[in-house]
Amino acid sequence: MGAKRKKRSKGSDSDEDDERDSPPPKKQGASASSDSNSIKQKSKKKEILPSMIKNKEKRSEIHAKLKRQKKLEKRNKLKERQAAEKRALELGEEPPEKKVPRTIENTREFDETVCMPDDEELFAGNDADEFSKILSQQQTPKILITTCRFNSSRGPAFISELLSVIPNAHYFKRGTYDLKKIVEYAKKKDFTSMVVVHTNRREPDALLIIGLPDGPTAHFKLSKLVLRKDIKNHGNPTSHKPELVFNNFTTRLGHRVARLIQSLFPQEPEFKGRRVVTFHNQRDFIFFRHHRYIFETKEIKKTDTKGKKDEKGTNEKVPDHKTIARLQECGPRFTLKLISLQHGTFDSKGGEYEWVHKPEMDTSRRRFFL
Amino acid sequence: MPRTTTVDCIGCPPLRALTFDTLGLIKVLEARDKQGAPRVVERWGEPDSSKGIMAVSMIQCHSNPLLAVARKNGQIEILSPVSGDLQATISSSSDLDLQSDVVGLHLFAKANLELSTRPCTLLTCTSKGNASVRSIDITDSSIESSCLDSSKAWNVCASGSIECCKVDGSEKFALFGGKGVEVNLWDLDNYSKIWNAKSPPKDSLGIFTPTWFTSAAFLRKDDHRKFVAGTNSHQIRLYDISAQRRPVLSFDFRETPIKALAEDIDGNSIYVGNGSGDMASFDIRTGKLLGCFTGKCSGSIRSIVRHPELPVVASCGLDSYLRLWDTKTRQLLSSVFLKQHLLHVVFDSGFTVEEIPQGADLPCKEQSVNEIGVMQGIEAPSLKRKKSSKNKGNVTDSERKKRSKNSKEGKKSKEMMKVRRLCQRVNRNPRKKARARNVKLMKKGCDSYGSNSM
Repeated sequence: MGAKRKKRSKGSDSDEDDERDSPPPKKQGASASSDSNSIKQKSKKKEILPSMIKNKEKRSEIHAKLKRQKKLEKRNKLKERQAAEKRALELGEEPPEKKVPRTIENTREFDETVCMPDDEELFAGNDADEFSKILSQQQTPKILITTCRFNSSRGPAFISELLSVIPNAHYFKRGTYDLKKIVEYAKKKDFTSMVVVHTNRREPDALLIIGLPDGPTAHFKLSKLVLRKDIKNHGNPTSHKPELVFNNFTTRLGHRVARLIQSLFPQEPEFKGRRVVTFHNQRDFIFFRHHRYIFETKEIKKTDTKGKKDEKGTNEKVPDHKTIARLQECGPRFTLKLISLQHGTFDSKGGEYEWVHKPEMDTSRRRFFL
Repeated sequence: MPRTTTVDCIGCPPLRALTFDTLGLIKVLEARDKQGAPRVVERWGEPDSSKGIMAVSMIQCHSNPLLAVARKNGQIEILSPVSGDLQATISSSSDLDLQSDVVGLHLFAKANLELSTRPCTLLTCTSKGNASVRSIDITDSSIESSCLDSSKAWNVCASGSIECCKVDGSEKFALFGGKGVEVNLWDLDNYSKIWNAKSPPKDSLGIFTPTWFTSAAFLRKDDHRKFVAGTNSHQIRLYDISAQRRPVLSFDFRETPIKALAEDIDGNSIYVGNGSGDMASFDIRTGKLLGCFTGKCSGSIRSIVRHPELPVVASCGLDSYLRLWDTKTRQLLSSVFLKQHLLHVVFDSGFTVEEIPQGADLPCKEQSVNEIGVMQGIEAPSLKRKKSSKNKGNVTDSERKKRSKNSKEGKKSKEMMKVRRLCQRVNRNPRKKARARNVKLMKKGCDSYGSNSM
């Protein structure tokens, strides 16, 4: 380092390119503390990023300054916006439009596999797939749940909760059977799907959903599992058939995965039970939630409409009742991420994949597959 | 850190391809303009899952091309690949057993050329091993049931299930293989088995992998003795029936079963696709990996087809994309999303852009060549010469001048081949550095696989 600097000073100070490229001139200036150098610094300050400065004290100082500046700018912007809104309200004009923040989801990369609702081929394809029988209620789903070979602690607890979530599900001990043998058995006994919970280090970490008899096999990574007893104020589900909510499954693959999951549940919800099972897809993560809901009528307090009070103050004699839905979470909470979707039933060696996640596909954080 | 730049597709030269999917739809794709992406021009058939297309065969012929399609419900339809008109249907309920699907289908081009009345002959093979050769009269009047003139049926295998069936270029020999069935070669003149493969010996651990052939291809059109076969245990084997019954060469490719194989025109390299969507080309003389086709392909590859003239390979599969690749650079030219699981793809080589005047397809070809080859000065005229024999009217003056300079000895095809081969050799040189790295990798791969190969 030192040798380099020496070299430069020896060679020529007029080498402008050299100076511009390298950050050390700062330090040099500080040590020399000549006026000409400090002027140079000031003019350069705007161009130099804090990360390019090697002196830590200086760097953190400049960084703090920049941060403060940004904060101030942000606050000023907010003030301006609020002022404009207030002015518009006073003048009786339309308030300026609220800006929609840019998120990763709404700046998603264009994907040609996203399904349009008017796509007739999509519906024809859906009618022809393996789940159409169950989803059109010609067949009642019957689920076999099993585990990996070694299963303890949270695994069985999770399975007992799954059994309460999925109606008509039967748990079978894995024993030492091959998965392919179990698939054969389940086919013979007219099961429509199979769920395998895989545990690693006494913690469930993968879920395999197999459509039977020839449906696809989806392999999910399971994470963020919270069991019922760990949820505060949890409810206990009844044995009614649940309602299903699927959010944001947009692409062709997403539809297929959603239909695979949907085929685990019977398709006639008992609304009396007020049970909802939600599969919410966000950035390719599928969030599972299980709720009970209740409709309540509630009076609206007048204080919450502060701004409009002086305008509408006279004509408020309407009964302020509003029905709201209250939710109570019950049952497990977990997150799934699709790793692969296999054509046919489970076959790890000779299986054909409809979709596999490959590292080369992660070209952008705004690219999603479901 | 993942790569954040988007790779734009270059677009492909004018061509026409037909894709066949699980719902029984036939989609016709055409790329017309210079470097345009192919678009779906026509869609034949109504979506019906029982009509999924199991096997396809096409006669590439300029006067009257024919397309045969075997459906899941056992019907075999003969269509015109130009208009999609149904010309004949054969329902197999009478003579083929219903339980097994048709896995192999071949339309014989020879018979088609000889007679004007077009009694077309086709070979079918079901998964249970019932092969039959039939000839059918195509009369435009009766579409529903065409009479079977003559048929000859025989059984290829006693047990197991056939999964691949190929007929060689001279159309005298047929190749069958499948799950539990070693590849065997049949003489189609007198319907006799002439050769049967022998399974490779047990490996060093004494483990015998069960036979399960998933795909096969003849290496050359004029040579029925050499062919490659892909197995479910991700092995690619080269057989030479004049040498031995065991594979001459065998090597592994990745970890999922080989699902598609296609040969190149030169007979030295093959294209391999597997169950997890990896595609690569191999030099079959040495078994070395030439390179992989990378392009976010995520679903099993079901079919690979080499264009008979252009340097383009098409692949399609369960991820419902049709992808077109350059054979030399192995770059993705374009990809089309076709919504259904695709099972087969076929090129229509008789397609030329006719609507656009002034020889629109000629400069395109040149451009695509420019991208591929660095030494366009030698290569371009050779292509032009070939093209000029087809449609002379389209050639512009400047090109004619060039041609007159370059082509002194007329249109001898042998000469042409020589020039092209020379160009290829020259082309390789500038990219040697980049390739050297590949070669290193290849060697590594070979070593790791070396214990398995023979």
